[in-house]
Amino acid sequence: MSPKADDALDNLLMEKAKIVELSDSEEGGPPFPGSHLKRDVHPLPPWLTSPALNLFPEEYATASSDAFKKVRNECLPHLLGEDNQNLPLNKYGLPHLRREQHINFLHSTLGNLPAPYVALDAARPWLFYWGFSGLTVLGEDVMQYRQRLIETVRPMQNLQGGYGGGHGQFSHCAASYACVLSLAMVNGLEEVNRNTMWHWLGKIKQPNGGFRMAENAEMDIRGAYCAFIMITVLNLPLELPPSSPARHAGLKTFDDGLGEYIRSLQTYEGGIGATPGDEAHGAYAFLAMGCLSMIDAPNKIIPKYIDTSALLRWMACQQTQPEGGYAGRTNKLVDSCYSQWIGGTWALLQAAFGAGEQESSENVWNKQALVRYLLTCAQQPGKKGGMRDKPSAKPDGYHTTYALAGLSAAMNHYHYDTEAPTRSESGRLTSGFNWSGKSPTPEKMEKLGVEESDLVGYVHPVYVMPFKVVENFSTKFEKGGFGKE
Amino acid sequence: MSDPDTESYSTSPAWSDVTPLPTNPGGPNPLAAIAYAPAYEEAMSYLRALMAANEHSTRALELTEDVIEQNPAHYTVWLYRASVLFGIDADLRAELEWVSDVARAHQKNYQIWNHRMMIVEKLGSPEGEREFVEEMFALDGKNYHVWSYRQWLVRRFGLWGERERGFVEGMVERDVRNNSAWNYRWFLVNGRESEGVPGVKDEGVKREEVEYAASAVAKAPQNPSPWNYLRGVVRASGGGLGELKGLASEYADLTRPGGVRSSHALDLLADILADEDKNKAGEALDALASTYDPIRKNYWEYRKGLLGLPAASVA
Ligand SMILES: [Zn+2]
Repeated sequence: MSPKADDALDNLLMEKAKIVELSDSEEGGPPFPGSHLKRDVHPLPPWLTSPALNLFPEEYATASSDAFKKVRNECLPHLLGEDNQNLPLNKYGLPHLRREQHINFLHSTLGNLPAPYVALDAARPWLFYWGFSGLTVLGEDVMQYRQRLIETVRPMQNLQGGYGGGHGQFSHCAASYACVLSLAMVNGLEEVNRNTMWHWLGKIKQPNGGFRMAENAEMDIRGAYCAFIMITVLNLPLELPPSSPARHAGLKTFDDGLGEYIRSLQTYEGGIGATPGDEAHGAYAFLAMGCLSMIDAPNKIIPKYIDTSALLRWMACQQTQPEGGYAGRTNKLVDSCYSQWIGGTWALLQAAFGAGEQESSENVWNKQALVRYLLTCAQQPGKKGGMRDKPSAKPDGYHTTYALAGLSAAMNHYHYDTEAPTRSESGRLTSGFNWSGKSPTPEKMEKLGVEESDLVGYVHPVYVMPFKVVENFSTKFEKGGFGKE
Repeated sequence: MSDPDTESYSTSPAWSDVTPLPTNPGGPNPLAAIAYAPAYEEAMSYLRALMAANEHSTRALELTEDVIEQNPAHYTVWLYRASVLFGIDADLRAELEWVSDVARAHQKNYQIWNHRMMIVEKLGSPEGEREFVEEMFALDGKNYHVWSYRQWLVRRFGLWGERERGFVEGMVERDVRNNSAWNYRWFLVNGRESEGVPGVKDEGVKREEVEYAASAVAKAPQNPSPWNYLRGVVRASGGGLGELKGLASEYADLTRPGGVRSSHALDLLADILADEDKNKAGEALDALASTYDPIRKNYWEYRKGLLGLPAASVA
């Protein structure tokens, strides 16, 4: 079906949903307009009741407050259950997770794409990663893509090491990261030339401890996170190659100077920016915390470089009232992708608090509110499926995957084993491998308002992919070095 | 190409010496394969050939322009273009004008800002840059990459003077909730500590910043930006949050009805009271959990727990 026809169908279904609801409320003859009957069965959570919705009426309007109002108005009917977009509801009155539709949507992002997708020509590895990661959270096996993926990324690997976004493109951290993790998910890591990858990573390590995204490209915390993903997944030597420019500044290893660099990213708000001086932003919080969590045990290394209680406060404040999802920055709008960037950072932060407090701080954030936002507002209704930033946005692979990862952060519990070793015999950094997941109890499911069929799988808190895959690569290349390459 | 409708690289005499390198699609059935428009496919195959030869020439510049216009998110082409520009000693002022047009047409694109940085670095002059940045802020006052670029300009060319202060005050004036502008103000005030300029550690600077933020709070008390700023100022100055007790109490008076005009003030007050009277701090946290900020109930109760107080018995 063409995208246009699909949209027409969506609109038709939405119209139908409105008609059904109208007749529903008229039938019972409610004393108040609206769908009050549903509310009696499923009482609204405190932040969606009228006192909370009418707090601090702002008299002083600015562009930001106008934007808040607009988004609140597009979300509230879904949050309150007044407009369920014709989605089937679970026994708690929330729309079911649209597993089948999201699976189909993610498969479609891996299929043939029309010409306007040329804008993604330098970002295709992301599509592989998002597709695979999202599908596996929904319980799909991606091994069916193994051969195709291996052949697709082969021309993207450069002789001098690393992967570009396509054939003939310069090696880039994001492309390399996405290719390596996608290969890991189909058990295809033998394709990666580890030796040249190590040399290439040496070229982008900077004298100030940070990493560039590519040679001569911008430097920010994304580079460091991606580099440490590659170093730990592929068990590359921690020593910098002799040709690395960072060696001129006296640095000897990939992690030299990195903790101090990350410290310089925490802002007066408590959150973390992309480069020193930048505004605190959810994505960079995850990347900085994830990066540190690969270098050493979170309870050891994170408090050393990050003011954890300031970060905690900032993260808690990014959950938006009344939508319940996360915004990426102070005074920005709710957006489902931050369900992962901030929702996914909680497990890392809690692990930073150490063995006992890791559990006692488990419920510091509002998981019910995030689940409600994702199920009611972020799911695309109609035939298409997929998840979106907010109701007025279109679904895409990026938001689908990170909204699902956020659901996983809210539903499942992740535990870091503070007793486990953080170095292997070959000198590999293994702290990223010491995590385990726990599914929700029936009581927790009731609290979240989800049924068995709405549950999603574990998402590894550091590698953002299935635990099984992490387990597999954690024992791969165990000898280290570059024997036969 | 100057006129892509009537001319192609394969028929142009200017390109007859180049053997295009076609895309290796990656097997018979590649994933997420894009059905490239023929013009893009052809331009890319010539570009690959030039890049393989590392050719620095005017025609290479034209070719990168052609590709960027079709796909401005193509980082490789931007990086190659920069090396060509410097390799042939191209007119960098003209380049800046062209980049500005691309930026206007593709506001979300971020490759251009690293490119622009390299050009301006080479030019060694920030002339016109702040004006252009301000033009971009008129379209989106919270564009992350543009703010980052502005910081780079200030650091690189030492533009710490009155003009910057006036600019950022104008941005806050336009939207007091623009947190990016608040973050930038922080940078202007505190960004030179390593050069020995004290920032809010200086008592006078601190007083000025507290006053500035307090006047913003007065406009919109429930705006978190100035509250976060105030906390940051006092902490960075080495002081205690107690210095803000007067202000916090003004907007979070639990003793009279309607006395709480800001949950952020109440949050701050709870932190201040934690050092003075734990039970009073607990009352403030309870009020946040039950009434003024129920979505963060768990967080407020966690804070109570840190004070050694039990969670409120009523949900
Ligand atoms: Zn988003």
